[in-house]
Amino acid sequence: MTTQQLVYLYCVADSEPELKETEALADNLYSVCNNGLYAVAGKVEQEEFGQEGLKRNMADFEWVKAKARMHERIIELVMADTDVIPFKFGTLFNTDASLKAMLEQYSREFKPILRKLAYKQEWGLKIYCNPEKLKATLGNNDSEILKIEDEIKSSSVGKSYFLKKKKDELIEKTLNERINECGQKSFELLKELSFEARIKKLLPREVTEREDEMVLNAAFLLDKDEVDDFQNMVETLKMHYESTGLYIDCTGPWPPYNFCGLSKQGVQNA
Amino acid sequence: MHDAITKSKDVTLLEILDRVLDKGVIISGDVVISVADVDLIYLGLKVLLSSVETMGKLRGSPFIGPMQEAK
Repeated sequence: MTTQQLVYLYCVADSEPELKETEALADNLYSVCNNGLYAVAGKVEQEEFGQEGLKRNMADFEWVKAKARMHERIIELVMADTDVIPFKFGTLFNTDASLKAMLEQYSREFKPILRKLAYKQEWGLKIYCNPEKLKATLGNNDSEILKIEDEIKSSSVGKSYFLKKKKDELIEKTLNERINECGQKSFELLKELSFEARIKKLLPREVTEREDEMVLNAAFLLDKDEVDDFQNMVETLKMHYESTGLYIDCTGPWPPYNFCGLSKQGVQNA
Repeated sequence: MHDAITKSKDVTLLEILDRVLDKGVIISGDVVISVADVDLIYLGLKVLLSSVETMGKLRGSPFIGPMQEAK
């Protein structure tokens, strides 16, 4: 008796993908074609990816890590040859026929997305803030803070207590302004070099496992010709901000996960 | 080369999970599952019960108004 298998969808491409290189990652990858669209899929075990199995496995961090990496690497290999629409982790079908039916149903959605993504790359930018370091740089630069510090020195005990409180509030406010300014400026400057740009939700420190706090999480869709300019701008921003406790982390190129949204109409029809 | 594009191992894992689990085209296939948001998965898995300092004022406060996600 053979165990039942499911069809796992990785991405959709508009030309036949070369899957030879993916053999090292998974030996059962293939493409399903319908009306000029190619879905890159692989067979997975029902026991591992069926409703019950997946629920169980998603609680296993090592399993999630390994499978998410594989999902990413397979799409990256396909992306080397052709433009792709990446799918979310765990998009599963019972048969090739139902995958094909999905391609048919969504072809009007997928084709314009692929046209938009042609000759483009997604890049990611995250900015982290070390508030202590940023605070330390504020005192020397902010005239208002320096003024209060002077007042504190020449005040009575009672008055200096309130002035110190005022100073703390001012520091907090200035801190937030600096963070905002760094995020806004970086985002706007990089957006100008991009075809599209998105702000994503911030991830907490439990997720990033960093001491400092994420203050910007953004994604940019770049024309391939703009990548050099984009990287140069990132370097400029780094030089400008890193000494003040604002760390800029840029990665890419990525499959265009953040720029392949279906229209609401398409989702409703699903 | 720019060090911007070096993918250090840990950063890459975070970046991968931030995309693979959270973004990409979502259509309902034959197996209907709900893959939770990336932070929920992380938190659920790692269950950090140790006191987690919060920077309430910083978190979430930046980027309102013109910084909102385009479309």
